[in-house]
Amino acid sequence: MSNNDRNIVLQAEGLCKSFSVVGEKLKVLEEIDLKLKKSSSLSIRGDSGCGKTTLLNLLARLEPADSGLLHWGAKIINAQDKPCSKEANWRAKYIGVVYQSYYLIPELTVLENVMMSVRLSKLSLTNYKERALQLLEEMGVGNKCQQIPTKLSGGERQRVAIARALVNNPVVILADEPTGNLDERTGGEVMDLLLNTCSKEGTSLILVTHNPNYARATEQSSFLKDGRLIYE
Amino acid sequence: MKSAWPLFLAWKQLFPSQRKVSFFSLLAIIGVALGVNVMIVVVAFMQGFQQKFRTDIIDSQGHARAVPLHRQLDWRESVETIKGKSQVSKVTPYLQGHLLVQNRDYNAVPFSMGIEPTDGNGVLPINEFLKNGHIAIQGYDSKDLTPVPTTQTLEDDVVFITQQVANRLGVRPSTILQIYDLNKSENNSISKGDISVVRLDPFVKSGEWVIEFSNDQNFSLRNALGTIERHASLGSGPPDLGWGYPKFDIKEGDYPFASGDIYKFQVFRSSILEVYSPSMIENAKSDEMAPPREVRVGGIFEVPWQGFHADALFGTRRFMEDMRGEVDVCDGFFIKFKSEFFEDEGRLGQLCTKLEDDLDGDWSVMPWFVENAWFFDLLKFEEYLMVLIMIPIGLVAAFAIAIALMTTVLRKIREIGLLVAMGGSRFAVGTIFCFQGFIIGSMGALLGCALALLFIRYRDSLMNFIVTRIAGEEGQAGVTQFYDFYSLDVPYPWESEQSLSTFLTFILFAILVSTVAGLLPAWRAARMNPAEALRSE
Repeated sequence: MSNNDRNIVLQAEGLCKSFSVVGEKLKVLEEIDLKLKKSSSLSIRGDSGCGKTTLLNLLARLEPADSGLLHWGAKIINAQDKPCSKEANWRAKYIGVVYQSYYLIPELTVLENVMMSVRLSKLSLTNYKERALQLLEEMGVGNKCQQIPTKLSGGERQRVAIARALVNNPVVILADEPTGNLDERTGGEVMDLLLNTCSKEGTSLILVTHNPNYARATEQSSFLKDGRLIYE
Repeated sequence: MKSAWPLFLAWKQLFPSQRKVSFFSLLAIIGVALGVNVMIVVVAFMQGFQQKFRTDIIDSQGHARAVPLHRQLDWRESVETIKGKSQVSKVTPYLQGHLLVQNRDYNAVPFSMGIEPTDGNGVLPINEFLKNGHIAIQGYDSKDLTPVPTTQTLEDDVVFITQQVANRLGVRPSTILQIYDLNKSENNSISKGDISVVRLDPFVKSGEWVIEFSNDQNFSLRNALGTIERHASLGSGPPDLGWGYPKFDIKEGDYPFASGDIYKFQVFRSSILEVYSPSMIENAKSDEMAPPREVRVGGIFEVPWQGFHADALFGTRRFMEDMRGEVDVCDGFFIKFKSEFFEDEGRLGQLCTKLEDDLDGDWSVMPWFVENAWFFDLLKFEEYLMVLIMIPIGLVAAFAIAIALMTTVLRKIREIGLLVAMGGSRFAVGTIFCFQGFIIGSMGALLGCALALLFIRYRDSLMNFIVTRIAGEEGQAGVTQFYDFYSLDVPYPWESEQSLSTFLTFILFAILVSTVAGLLPAWRAARMNPAEALRSE
């Protein structure tokens, strides 16, 4: 294995995915090849419904592909296999996720929401509490630790979601339109925070976005069209 | 520190941060608690009734009864053999049968039992029964001073009868009333001490008695006819005139007696009954007419065990022998064992079998629970039936929990998807809902136990409250007529193994049913496709 290969934290080879729609097979992704280096960032743009979220789901192994291979670092996964519980444990430590709708758990406080990643990764709560507080401070919501998510604004919620994705030091962050629900100014601030923190923490990022400005801010940009990933 | 996140999340979904308790959790827990409470209370009270009946039966029958398998001529030897056993506390022979009892035109045929007055009370607490049946006459110008009779007054010409027999025949034992002079402004008995009657045997004659003080210490006791008069002082106490006369006692009060203080008492002799026996009928057939036996009513008794004959008569064993026209016979023995032997029914059964062997197989020795097995089987059946009826209550609570948790699963579809995306296994996500069922069941069970303990603690006040609201003050008598609810001994779980076992059984039942109720929602959550869950609206 070359040094170059060793730097690759996430790789997809020939990923294909189709859905059955009214008895007909609709191909969404065709022969997707993707390589993500350590501490690098990749943006994926594309029209609505072109399969961006599906690609992220396949990369996170939330659903099986029709064919293809996945590399999570040195771990090679046959993408058409049904996701198993062993992969769930691995995913908890390896991949962080950020969604457009934040998905914060309303019954938990901000800090407890962030610490959920630590709990799911089966890491020490005591060791990671400091890091969670520090991340929340960096995200500008340090003073909202004990509040419940419903009391926060959209921008604040997304900052908490980013802190939650980063708290257990994952290798890759998969962000699916993280600014989709935010106004332009707040969205810009959140995006800056996400990119800067990932860069500072050395975390690789795959960003799905419609905004070309945010896409340009990543090291690599790509466009998903007709099921194929075109690098710009 | 690591923690089981499904348990943490289950707890938080039931008891969210920044809020004390969720409405759903509260309702679910209260539902389980009420179910557990009802089940425990019903079973605990059923056991309380069983315990009460057990005590009442032992009181009215002793721990065991020995009956001869064939005509025993040497029963006294058998009594001595039983008495010689170290495990036996007391034993008394008895004779039984039916007698015809008559007072004027009224008659009754009570179940009659002849016992030894000396040791009978040691086996059967007849003095307690007499206390239960003692009824004072209420009068506006008199006070009933009749002492509760005891087995000491039971002689061959004296019988004790049940309230039902007494009512049917219109009879009562000897009675003494203190008569107040309503024209007198001062109530002597309250201000100047207490005069009581310590003995009133069945042979006292009707008449009036007077105690008159000549000064603060000395007084005279005389009958109204003036045929008897005795002088005495408070120091020596009222004189004992012997059998056939009332014996008084005087206790000094806050104020001294004074010259001229007079206390009047009216004595009514006990009723006299005419008793006929089947042997007299046999004699009559052979033209040997015999007059009926006359006996006095020594006391009215009431046995707490409803299974005991309502129409019953206690006399001496010799009286029963006379009535049956037999000499030195007995129909069996009542036996009481020492306390360390009768608590365990298995051990008591073994002791009775051993006793049978020691009596050379001439006697059958039946422990109380064998003789009354039918009754306890019935009570047990009733208890099982209650449990059977109440199990659906638990199942209804379980269904309610299952439906509520299923709603939660549907409400939290995207959260479920997120948890899987964050690295939670589908199985672990499913267990959140099982844990919720477990937590609801556990907390509901504990709350239910606490409610049950409160119910047991304040059962009399609660019962009183409920009965008076439903049936008014008179309703109390109606309730106690059937079950002496208020004197029920319902033990706490730390007082009896049986009660502890009841509490634990229903705690486990509630937890199990609630956890199982969470299985369906858990299964639904676990089989959810996380990608689809995240896409859902």
